[in-house]
Amino acid sequence: MSPLQLYQLVALLLLCVGLYGFIWRRSLVGMLICLELMLNGAGLSIVAACQLTPANAVLGQLGTLLVMGLAAAEATLVLAIVYVVTRRFKTSESIIVSELKR
Amino acid sequence: MEFVAKLAFWFYTLIVVGGAFMAATDASLVRSLVGLVATMFGVAGLYMLMDATFIAFMQILIYVGGVSVLIFFAIMLTRAAPTGDEAMHRPLRKRINALFSMLVPALVLSVAIVQHLPNGNKLPKDVPLAELGKGLMGPYLLNFELISVVLFVAMAGAVMLAWRQWGIKK
Repeated sequence: MSPLQLYQLVALLLLCVGLYGFIWRRSLVGMLICLELMLNGAGLSIVAACQLTPANAVLGQLGTLLVMGLAAAEATLVLAIVYVVTRRFKTSESIIVSELKR
Repeated sequence: MEFVAKLAFWFYTLIVVGGAFMAATDASLVRSLVGLVATMFGVAGLYMLMDATFIAFMQILIYVGGVSVLIFFAIMLTRAAPTGDEAMHRPLRKRINALFSMLVPALVLSVAIVQHLPNGNKLPKDVPLAELGKGLMGPYLLNFELISVVLFVAMAGAVMLAWRQWGIKK
């Protein structure tokens, strides 16, 4: 197998484990952790695709940097939302929060 | 030299896989976060192997330094105990749903990767840091500025969400 395929398989594994955990988790924070796993896989896939093929390497690396920035922004907002939800519902379990009433 | 590169690849892959499974399935959220940090370090090592040094250091700086601290704050603010929500029993339907949501993309995409991916280069490209800087100041200037706006809006929105007294009974 070529290096490109190996790197893409590792990225795919991160995506799949992240998806599994996203459904498996009961609390909102656990789901956030699995979301970060998936975003890490996306970054790995982009960098592998730009570094090991004739594609534009600068575009790929800067795109990964933007993904990281967006992940940081998203984590900030999710922290605030989880904080508000926990204060209001007294729990951060997704199945109780998804009923939208206390 | 090639042997060392292969050894490093499998070492980092082992860290990534172990950390990912720990992050996705451990009943304690703090241990799950430790698994996530291990995965991030492993991915940074893989970036190093692909000669993307700048991205590797940014990964450590932003993810390991920033995002993991944010998630740790979220764990503390929700007072998640190791015997809390995550340790409770799940119905069989949930197990099957989780397994299927993992297996379907795994099958489709792994077949696509193994069968239809072009071989690619043996060695990664060497992109000097000056090129990245020129890219940020040249063709991708708008994205560079917009990401700072997005970060500012996210921070201001987070402060506003947490500051207003939503849900407090008068």
